[in-house]
Amino acid sequence: MRNAYLVYAAKRIVQAVVVILLTYVFTFIVVSILPGDPVTNVLRNPQNGFSEEEIQAIIAAQGLDRPIPVQLWDALSGFVTGDLGLSMRSGRPVATMIAEVLPSTLILASMTLAFSLIIAGLIGYGSQALPRKYGQGIVRGIPSLFLSVPNFVIGLLLIHIFGFQFGLFRVIDPNSFWATFFASVTLATPISAQIAEVLVANLDNESRQEYAAVARARGLRQVRLFFLHLLKPSSLPVVTVIALMVGEVLGNALITETVFGRTGIGSLVQRSVSTQDLPVLQAIVSLAAVVFVVVNLIADLVYPLLDPRVKLVGAVRRPTTADEGSANIPSRVVTE
Amino acid sequence: MASQDKLTPPLTRIVTAPRRAGPLLRVEDLSVSYGPQEVVTGVGFELGRGESLALIGESGSGKSTIARSVLRLLPGNARATGRITFDGQEILALPERRFRPLRGRGIGFVPQDPGNALNPVRTIGAQAQEAAALLDEPDKAIRKELILETFAQVGLDNPGRAYESYPHQLSGGMLQRVLIGLAVLPRPALLVADEPTSALDVTIQKRILELLSRLQQDLDISLLLITHDLAVAAERTDALVVLKGGSVQEAGSTAAVFSAPSSAYARKLRADVPALNPDRYAALRDPGFARLADGKAKIAVSGVTKTFSVDGKVLKAVDDVSFAVPAGTTHALVGESGSGKTTTIRLLLGLDQPDHGDITVAGTPLAGRSQQALHAVWRHLQLVYQNPFTSLDPTWKVEHLVREPLDRFRIGTPKERGEQVREALASVGLGEQFLSRRPTALSGGQRQRVAIARALVLKPDVIVLDEPTSALDVSVQADIVEVLLSLQAKLGLTYVFVSHDLALVRQIAHTVSVMHRGRIVEHGTVGEIFDNPRQPYTRSLLKSIPSGIEGGTHRNPHAFPLKEQIA
Amino acid sequence: MTFSLNPLAARIRTARWSETFPPAVLLSFLIVALVLAWAVAPGLFTSHNPASGVPADKLLGPSAAHWFGTDHLGRDLYARVVYGTASSVTSAFIAVVIGLVVGGLMGLLAGFLGGWVDVVLARLVDVLLAIPNFLLAVIVVTALGFNTTNAAIATGVSAVAVFARVMRSEVIKTRQAAFVEASFLLGGSRWHILLRHVLPNASRSVLPLAVLRFGLSILVIASLAFLGYGDPPPASDWGLLISIGKDYLKWPWLVYAPAFVTIATVLSVNRISRWLRKTN
Repeated sequence: MRNAYLVYAAKRIVQAVVVILLTYVFTFIVVSILPGDPVTNVLRNPQNGFSEEEIQAIIAAQGLDRPIPVQLWDALSGFVTGDLGLSMRSGRPVATMIAEVLPSTLILASMTLAFSLIIAGLIGYGSQALPRKYGQGIVRGIPSLFLSVPNFVIGLLLIHIFGFQFGLFRVIDPNSFWATFFASVTLATPISAQIAEVLVANLDNESRQEYAAVARARGLRQVRLFFLHLLKPSSLPVVTVIALMVGEVLGNALITETVFGRTGIGSLVQRSVSTQDLPVLQAIVSLAAVVFVVVNLIADLVYPLLDPRVKLVGAVRRPTTADEGSANIPSRVVTE
Repeated sequence: MASQDKLTPPLTRIVTAPRRAGPLLRVEDLSVSYGPQEVVTGVGFELGRGESLALIGESGSGKSTIARSVLRLLPGNARATGRITFDGQEILALPERRFRPLRGRGIGFVPQDPGNALNPVRTIGAQAQEAAALLDEPDKAIRKELILETFAQVGLDNPGRAYESYPHQLSGGMLQRVLIGLAVLPRPALLVADEPTSALDVTIQKRILELLSRLQQDLDISLLLITHDLAVAAERTDALVVLKGGSVQEAGSTAAVFSAPSSAYARKLRADVPALNPDRYAALRDPGFARLADGKAKIAVSGVTKTFSVDGKVLKAVDDVSFAVPAGTTHALVGESGSGKTTTIRLLLGLDQPDHGDITVAGTPLAGRSQQALHAVWRHLQLVYQNPFTSLDPTWKVEHLVREPLDRFRIGTPKERGEQVREALASVGLGEQFLSRRPTALSGGQRQRVAIARALVLKPDVIVLDEPTSALDVSVQADIVEVLLSLQAKLGLTYVFVSHDLALVRQIAHTVSVMHRGRIVEHGTVGEIFDNPRQPYTRSLLKSIPSGIEGGTHRNPHAFPLKEQIA
Repeated sequence: MTFSLNPLAARIRTARWSETFPPAVLLSFLIVALVLAWAVAPGLFTSHNPASGVPADKLLGPSAAHWFGTDHLGRDLYARVVYGTASSVTSAFIAVVIGLVVGGLMGLLAGFLGGWVDVVLARLVDVLLAIPNFLLAVIVVTALGFNTTNAAIATGVSAVAVFARVMRSEVIKTRQAAFVEASFLLGGSRWHILLRHVLPNASRSVLPLAVLRFGLSILVIASLAFLGYGDPPPASDWGLLISIGKDYLKWPWLVYAPAFVTIATVLSVNRISRWLRKTN
């Protein structure tokens, strides 16, 4: 068992590293190669109005005169050693630019995750504990509604109501508490909905299991049944979903930060896209992938330790001996 | 230990309240419906204190719904009307708050599938404490002692280990013992057991039923047993209620209903139970015994071994297995789960390759054959799967399903194929109206007929039947067996019949191999095996066949070994 | 163990029509049908011109003459929503087709062939999943150039991984089904089994996913349009309309009317998807 886990962990770690490197290459292809030569496309684009000297300076700084495979290799080895290169526009180190805006996005992201878990948990509890006819139906409809509203509409709605009507915050002061609060709520709506959908489905599934009926027949009341029996098996798979949502937060921050006028990773992406600052774009996308892969790696490594059912064995049909009986015992088998 | 004096009560029933007069449980005019659809109609029966009653029926008979009405565990969309009186209290109308004190303390529940009846992510001990909480014993340590004592009483070898375990770490038989223990721990007056053994192997079934009977007698509990097996019910209970389509067909004392059923349905049910009618198909089968002597071996398996490695451990799934099947006869491979019977037929069909040994089908050796060559063999060797709910592609129509092998092997012109499909369907008793249906629109029995027709349409010599009726109701099983045996009589087919059901094997097989842990432990004609078994394992299997009231065991429940042997 | 569903299933099939089509599903179909009609023949639903307005009538509230009011140039907002539908709906459709075809094919091959094909495709899917979905759409549309068609392609690319995953797991599940082995024993070749057994069965659960993704794609494309990565005005994609409206929050219908249409459409599509998943 111990050994099986170490083998599994080692495999997952190697796989994660491979995926990160491949993602960098993929991003490089999409950002720097697919649109064509950046010198003609970006620098010599009359709209951008670079002077010839500036162009030469940028070419020299970025090394754009070298063959593309060499550029990729240099960029990749720089990335691995923590050197994210220089901005094509300002010439400043990309790492510094990201570091400047990172705290704001981290605050937003952590508040978002907190709100998402609270909202999803409330929906999950309501879906089981409220009266079946009316309460449950409404609560169960919430995730579907949340997932059908464009994120920027939620943001605009909150700004309209709480910013303009109630005057809780001003749009020109996006870092005030209430502005941050409502930006997180905006970002949390689709995230909480996705977590809640999985949670409610799992809770429904668990409460249909025979063991829930047996526990009720044992005289357990609904509240204890929910917290003692249903919550743990239902929320274990949610660990994986939360990890997946980290990517969602990073992606949607782009819209939310634009709507609320916040400075952050998302607005930096937005700015780099409009100024075609390719190194910045490349760095942010690659870092987002690193965060996503690492968080999911952690989730995958922690999950088998949390769930006693997970057996880290190959999916080989295991013949049982006669004395073991043939009751169908569920086992979650993690395989590669 | 201070708790020593507390450890004695469990076996002697604690009488807390004065007994009220009248039956313990009375069900009157109970109807249950899901939406517009009524699944139980006007059912009524009575169960006295310390007595036992069985609700018998096939799938869709409403027997489980009745049990769940008594337990008040019906799903939210179900509506129950009528009266259920438990210990003088009308419980259907009771608010949940007033009914909850009866749960566990008044009415205990033993569920069908022990593998799903305990929370998989909590230890058995944690869940046992929930049942122990009903004992009014404030000290957790004493409660634990009581739990361990009860675990020992229900025949768990190592109660301490069971207490610490997660459910998936115990076998099905042990889990069912745990569940029975938890159900009787708070000393309920009534135990509702819903098919408590149908998910277990035959020898374990017997032991679990014996445990239930013994506890019922020792603790003076009333038992409401839900089962599809008439023989089991007759053996274990005082009264029977036979259900069909949600209403009572016949009810009365076991002796009366079992030995002289008055309703047509109960008579048919009795006639269809293999254990009670060993000679039912004698007329169809017995001519085949002549072929045992003169028939050439259609299938010869000699010295076949197959190993799998699991977790680095090598497991011999099939160990030096040999048998031969003369043409036109039925050979049964009998064993419990894990005995290697399924692996044996996969080797026989060439789906897996043996490590050692030879398999010959109709004189052609299978070993080392290419895919192409195996195709030629499959033309003459077909398989009918255990579960007709998974062996037919749900997106295809019946006509297409049955014609698939003809199309694949390019047999005849398209028009001839259509004819052959109709013939094959007719030979299993399905008319033309089924041609355009999809499997989802068929019942289990109809699906298995389609599967048999599909195997037949190639006109094979050998059909391998992998528990072909184990997913079906007993009356449907009887129909399918009838079809199979008349086809054999007509076409001279050779069958390899895999089953765990000895009673069924006794009805239809000519020769039998008993498998245990990958080996054939005993081999012989059906007469030799059933009338004169030589191996203890075979004898234990035979003993596990429920025999109805004559061989009933619940009158002397102490005569049997209690502990489950753990290998 | 016996299967107890048969008589029940037979009775369910003859259940009342309103049970197979709950009112909410019926309403959803109606809404989607109306939106599709807007996309095909917008001229039938409004007599106003979406591109030119009457400056004197600018920023009017909703009324009988202008159902959704008018914008800052005095154009009828309802007409602009109706005429913007074709672009919004078509691009969502393109996105789903790209995701379904490319992702479905990848999943089918990976699941059925296994071996190194599976390993290579699995890593590619991992890469696509590693980049946050919306960020992926943004860099792809940046690479291709800002217009609505490219936004649709980018949205499609960002959906490939999900389709590939689901298809692969469905194929693997189906491949292990008893009926696939049965077909093999009945003489079926690999390709026969792939095309006639595995594909139809695996597709059954991919269809609801495609419908669900259609709704999601409407949202992603609206977001791209909102950020200005789609066609510029006077195009009137739903996302673009909301983006313009946000500068006029004093006249909130400019945001809420197109937002309401978007939400109603996506909600209906999601409801249909859920219904499909249930009835399958």
